[in-house]
Amino acid sequence: MSFLAVYILEAHPSDVWQMQSNLKDNVVFASPKNEEERAFVAGACVRKLGIKFPAVLDGFDNTVEKAYTGWPDRLYLIDQNGKVAYKSRPGPFGFEPDELKAALKGIAPGNTQMQKAEVRLQK
Amino acid sequence: MLASFQHSIMSSVPISQPSSHVPPTKQRWKPVLLKVGVVLFVVWLAFVSFMWRTMKQPPERFAAVMSHMPVPAVFLAAPFETMWVRARAGELYPGDIAPAFNLQTLDKTSHIALSSLNARGPVVLVFGSYT
Repeated sequence: MSFLAVYILEAHPSDVWQMQSNLKDNVVFASPKNEEERAFVAGACVRKLGIKFPAVLDGFDNTVEKAYTGWPDRLYLIDQNGKVAYKSRPGPFGFEPDELKAALKGIAPGNTQMQKAEVRLQK
Repeated sequence: MLASFQHSIMSSVPISQPSSHVPPTKQRWKPVLLKVGVVLFVVWLAFVSFMWRTMKQPPERFAAVMSHMPVPAVFLAAPFETMWVRARAGELYPGDIAPAFNLQTLDKTSHIALSSLNARGPVVLVFGSYT
């Protein structure tokens, strides 16, 4: 099991759509103009939030974000066969770690339902 | 004589016709309220339609429009969450093969491919940004 943060275009850059909550938390960044600036903000994010798992930067063309409609935030679970096992609703409403937890249990080895499904497929 | 007297009285005294029917106050206001209601409904539909089209725009465009809106009011005036979930549904669904990618790490020293992580088992992807 791996976790990967995919850092995408900003949700509330100060020059486009500043949020009061971000002002209060001193999270004030203008829209990055290039990959270096995006990397800088992403680095600040990872440090301040204490994100321990690996993080990668989406290209400035936002290709991966478009493929996954990840903006403003979203959770995905890719199963061991490379298929989407869980796709959260789009943030901010759909960012629900509890749903992810349930999805993880659903694909865990030893899960009875999964075992039954596998047996059916083999037949 | 009395009959003729009565007749002359009756013919000389104009019989007051019932005054033109004046509806009670409530009924007079009903058509006005109906028209106002229809206008408000059409305005609301136009607003919801505008919000829907905006939600389907690229994120930068959507954010630029929302920055000029009274955000709490927008959430109340339209079925925002329902529309947002549909607008941002995308083309990828559970059961689909996850699109491959190979992206640079933050320190730019290497790249991480989804396939390399997936070779070791399930992968949780967390999409987001600091702001």
